[in-house]
Amino acid sequence: MKSAIQYAVFVLLCLTIPNTQAVEKITIKLDFIPNIEDGQTTYGVCARCHLPEAWGNDDGTYPQLAGQHVNVLMKQLLDIRNGTRHSSLMFPFVQSRTVGGYQELSNVVAYISTLPMNPDHSRGPWQKGSEQFEQGKEIYQKHCAACHGDNGEGNNELVYPRLQGQHFQYMNQQIMRIKNGVRQVHPAMQAVVSELEPEQLEQAINYASYFAVPKEDMASSKTWRNPDFN
Amino acid sequence: MANSDKNKLSRRHFLKAGAAAGAFSGISVPLQAAAAKDTAEDKANELPFAIRKLLNAATLPKADGARVVIVGGGWSGLTMAKYLKIHNPAFDVVLIDKRPEFISFPASNSWLANQVNLDFLTHSYIDAARTHDYYFLNTTVLGFDREVKKVFTSNGFINYDYMVLAPGIEYDYSRIGVDDPADQARLYNNYPGGFVNSSELITIKRKLNTFKGGTFVLNVPNGEYRCTAAPYERACMAAAIFKQRRIKAKILLLDMNADIRIKKQGFEKAFSSLYGDYISYLPSSEISQIDIDEKTVSTDFDDYTFDDAIIYPPVRASSLLEDAGIANMKTAQKIANTDPYKYHVIGDEYVYVTGDSRSQPFSKGGHTANSEAQYVAEVIAAHALGKEARWRSPQTMCFSAVDINPLQAMSIITFYKFNKQSKEFEFDRTHMMEDWNSEGGQASLAWAEGMYRDMFYR
Repeated sequence: MKSAIQYAVFVLLCLTIPNTQAVEKITIKLDFIPNIEDGQTTYGVCARCHLPEAWGNDDGTYPQLAGQHVNVLMKQLLDIRNGTRHSSLMFPFVQSRTVGGYQELSNVVAYISTLPMNPDHSRGPWQKGSEQFEQGKEIYQKHCAACHGDNGEGNNELVYPRLQGQHFQYMNQQIMRIKNGVRQVHPAMQAVVSELEPEQLEQAINYASYFAVPKEDMASSKTWRNPDFN
Repeated sequence: MANSDKNKLSRRHFLKAGAAAGAFSGISVPLQAAAAKDTAEDKANELPFAIRKLLNAATLPKADGARVVIVGGGWSGLTMAKYLKIHNPAFDVVLIDKRPEFISFPASNSWLANQVNLDFLTHSYIDAARTHDYYFLNTTVLGFDREVKKVFTSNGFINYDYMVLAPGIEYDYSRIGVDDPADQARLYNNYPGGFVNSSELITIKRKLNTFKGGTFVLNVPNGEYRCTAAPYERACMAAAIFKQRRIKAKILLLDMNADIRIKKQGFEKAFSSLYGDYISYLPSSEISQIDIDEKTVSTDFDDYTFDDAIIYPPVRASSLLEDAGIANMKTAQKIANTDPYKYHVIGDEYVYVTGDSRSQPFSKGGHTANSEAQYVAEVIAAHALGKEARWRSPQTMCFSAVDINPLQAMSIITFYKFNKQSKEFEFDRTHMMEDWNSEGGQASLAWAEGMYRDMFYR
């Protein structure tokens, strides 16, 4: 099934024509068939920080990559690579001199999509039944569910990130970056985030952090270790 | 280098004189009586010019917000300066270092073995300060007075609202049986350790790349030395250089510890499978004496004669902490008594100690200092607002180069937690990747570049 996945990579070229102010936009669409074995090798670069399981970290410094939609992962890699999404530390890792070209990025994204998810990701402070949880639910359903899905499943085709299983602190940190204008996102997302107060955003994220991850997507236990690197 | 007792005394006297004279010139402490003023000023004028100069304010733009003075522009200080401005743009941040430019120690073992060039390691404090909107002052900090909140530098004094001490480490030669300051100076001059001053690195690079053959001694210090894996990594890089140069050389790696301290399996495998002909690993080799004339290192078991050497003595926190009277001299590291979560000196929430001179037993190294400083910057910004920041563990990401051409590396990442029973910090989660490969090598350089970007650029 994985081998049938194709990625569309859009390359935007800006050509400045001499002696004129005109700039022409050229869009190129490229398809890649990923090679998962090669992706595993390339993931050896990523695993040094993201770890072999790609399960992220409860303090928000690393996201859970396992289980994320391939198109979402690819978009992040390309955005970081061209500077649209700013990350000092990640930037050199996604340059071609480190990971290779679009083919290698496709490979590594496909490899990550084969990894089972963390059965014990970190959740927000307000449990089901609390006032904040219920408020977060209301906010989420009104403002977030249309794109991210009722259960935070996201959408690969439309490149909407899956929120299920993502660490609370990571989502919280990113949403504040978006709120503060440090991270640029889709205008629709930007509009929603601008509209809501920080407390409301935190409550919505708290709610999203409690979405159940389908059992078949999870590793058998939290002590599972990726045999490809152990 | 470690100071002799005499030096320490004279330095303390000097600071006392400085503080007193500060009062005479009306900078800090109100005068007792107006009548005393003339005599006091006369007295101040009698001081040598060099000392009077120090009693003037250092040239800096007027502070336009609470001034945070950071002492030390290593990984901790650079990160601190940037993130203080991020968390509170109203802070007026001044970063001080006596070095005019930054040369990275992390990744420097790869440079010794010619895997990156010096440009890769070298960065400008001016770039960092301009990018992140703070001031860099290239001067030496002589001491500070916490009562009047002043830092004394060779360019004059600076008033602070908050002070962050990130002055790093010094060698403690007395712990390898070299007590005489003259002997310490000779040892340093001939066999520098390569963990404090970048000139040491340049000397070491020349040594390794021109060594004619014979016995080359390297050692691993005991205690909480800077960069746990680096001495083992350096042995690998030295061996790789000798192997590539096809010289007949033997590296004696004298480990003052009972066993390899970190990435044990990986280093053991590297020593045997790659460098069996080059590296002799000798654990439990407590250095008791070094005879510089005879080129002999003595341990409890044996004497080893060498042709050349890199002697990395045990380390201690910067003597700046001692001079200021905030170091606990009973501790091996001569660390300050600070709050384990908030990093401020006990009883003074305006002075913080971070980086390799910190009091907590976290691994000394670049990534630890960087992740820690991001958190402490939050602590200070919160304090200024009367709030508190939520504690989070520093991270230690540590790559070790094992082989060259192409560069191959292994890695470890670890976190810490506070054990409430023992009241001590301990490792929380540790993830080892001890299979070295070129992906690890690529990652090690990308990591270093990412950290430089974080501290100097965007």
